[in-house]
Amino acid sequence: MKELSEVNLPEDVRYTKDHEWARKNGGTFQIGISDFAQDQLGDIVFVELPEVGDRFESGDEFGTVESVKAVSELFMPLGGEVVTINAALEDAPELVNNLPYTEGWMLEIKASDPSEYDQMMDRAAYLDMLKGLEE
Amino acid sequence: MAPMTTPLYSWHRQQGARMALFGGYEMPLWYASAKDEHLAVLTHAGVFDTSHMAVVLVEGPGAFELLQFCFTNDLAACLGPRQTPLKPGRAVYGAFLTPEGHVIDDAIVFMLAGDAFLVVVNAGMGQRVATHLDRHRQHRDVRVKDLSGQFGKMDVQGPMAARMMRDVLADPEQVFDAMPYFAFKGGFSATMPSCGSVVTRDGVPLLLSRTGYTGEFGFEIFTSAETIINVWEAVMAAGAKHGAIPCGLAARDSLRAGAVLPLSHQDIGDWPFCHHPWPFALPYTPAQKGFTKTFLGSTALETGSAPYTYPFIGYDLRKVTLPAKVRDAADRVIGDVLTCVTDMAIEWHGERVFSISSPDVPEGFTGGGLCCGFVRVADPLPLDTRITLKDKRRQIEVRIVADIRPDRTARQPIHTML
Repeated sequence: MKELSEVNLPEDVRYTKDHEWARKNGGTFQIGISDFAQDQLGDIVFVELPEVGDRFESGDEFGTVESVKAVSELFMPLGGEVVTINAALEDAPELVNNLPYTEGWMLEIKASDPSEYDQMMDRAAYLDMLKGLEE
Repeated sequence: MAPMTTPLYSWHRQQGARMALFGGYEMPLWYASAKDEHLAVLTHAGVFDTSHMAVVLVEGPGAFELLQFCFTNDLAACLGPRQTPLKPGRAVYGAFLTPEGHVIDDAIVFMLAGDAFLVVVNAGMGQRVATHLDRHRQHRDVRVKDLSGQFGKMDVQGPMAARMMRDVLADPEQVFDAMPYFAFKGGFSATMPSCGSVVTRDGVPLLLSRTGYTGEFGFEIFTSAETIINVWEAVMAAGAKHGAIPCGLAARDSLRAGAVLPLSHQDIGDWPFCHHPWPFALPYTPAQKGFTKTFLGSTALETGSAPYTYPFIGYDLRKVTLPAKVRDAADRVIGDVLTCVTDMAIEWHGERVFSISSPDVPEGFTGGGLCCGFVRVADPLPLDTRITLKDKRRQIEVRIVADIRPDRTARQPIHTML
């Protein structure tokens, strides 16, 4: 298990309390789970994603990540319509463990209210929250 | 209550293990990767800290008779195909039941001598089983002592286990001679009759047993709480060149499920201990009609009704999360899912399940992983029945099977593994 000082928390994404991240990518947002989340889950062996065109509200469950022992829900950091899913995860779910912010991304969405992104935690706020979880 | 820890706790933390509470103990769930740990036990070896388990010493002239009354297996007729009596140096699996036939805990009984037995039970169960045995002592001259926390225990499981122990033991040839599955040698306290017959190169006495909870070839090792760290480090050092890695409870759970071994208080528990895939834990007559002895709970098992427990395999690695229900083809709820995990070493190939360690594994087989476990249903189901498991989120189709991970190595003779 990683110490908090070892957890990779890039500055170019924003985070949720459920450990998802979103990255502004022109007019769309890329979504995945944080390095802290993948480390907690352990080996990810299956990722269940929605279909292109599905619509979600912020906080909705959009899929699951499955480790050898458990199935965990994934929650939308912001509402919108799915425009792309990361098909590579079907054959290589371990990308979520190995490269959670790059090749391990999960969805790209067109946000219904892009201002929801501004309400998400930046790196400092998320790190503060993680420190709180450790106590 | 604050979580208990084993003597190896600091070692686990230093290795960065992800820890979790199990049976009152803070135990490693995995180190770097639960998947790699599961696979290592099939291809090389895995080393598990099992010091959280409990041991009850039962000794005295009435010990055999007390266990004959309380333990499900028949100690007078349990060894080999001829069902000969248990003898010193041999162990047998069974359970302790209530008068209603419900499971208090499952156990392996190790016969140290004619009047001395070690009863190995699950984490946190030492006091409960000791109290249960003491309550049924009646007139018998027998002492029951919970040894929980007074020993250290580790399991070395996998095809390289004997080669590793050859480097750890002072006299491996003598120890490995005449040591079949469920045999043991040595002891871990000076009062045990054979203590000193198995020692490490550093002179540490061990009780070494051809048992385990993975379905694969290997050993359980008991030693004192003070010496376990030295033994652990010696085994890990010996394992380095054999690809052995430390393994946590996640791999232990997926390995045992694939090996069709029950987890006490999950796959067996507060319902009658029969109609399950472990008939060898009960003293059935050769004709399978009735029992060879009367024991606590036997009348309830012979006369009462009970649900049926079956192993199952899915068609990919997706699982359901407990609680989950079992549904039949007509979508009626017929039972509950007891265990649902992924065995990452197995995969369907045509109509057959192969394991990565199957001798005739098809070319290009990688073992994509299959969901597997146990269901408990109200009425009997034929083999190969397709059922649906449904949790709050998903439903998956699985098949009732007789066995899960094929080509397991637990019973391999030691000389073939050196």
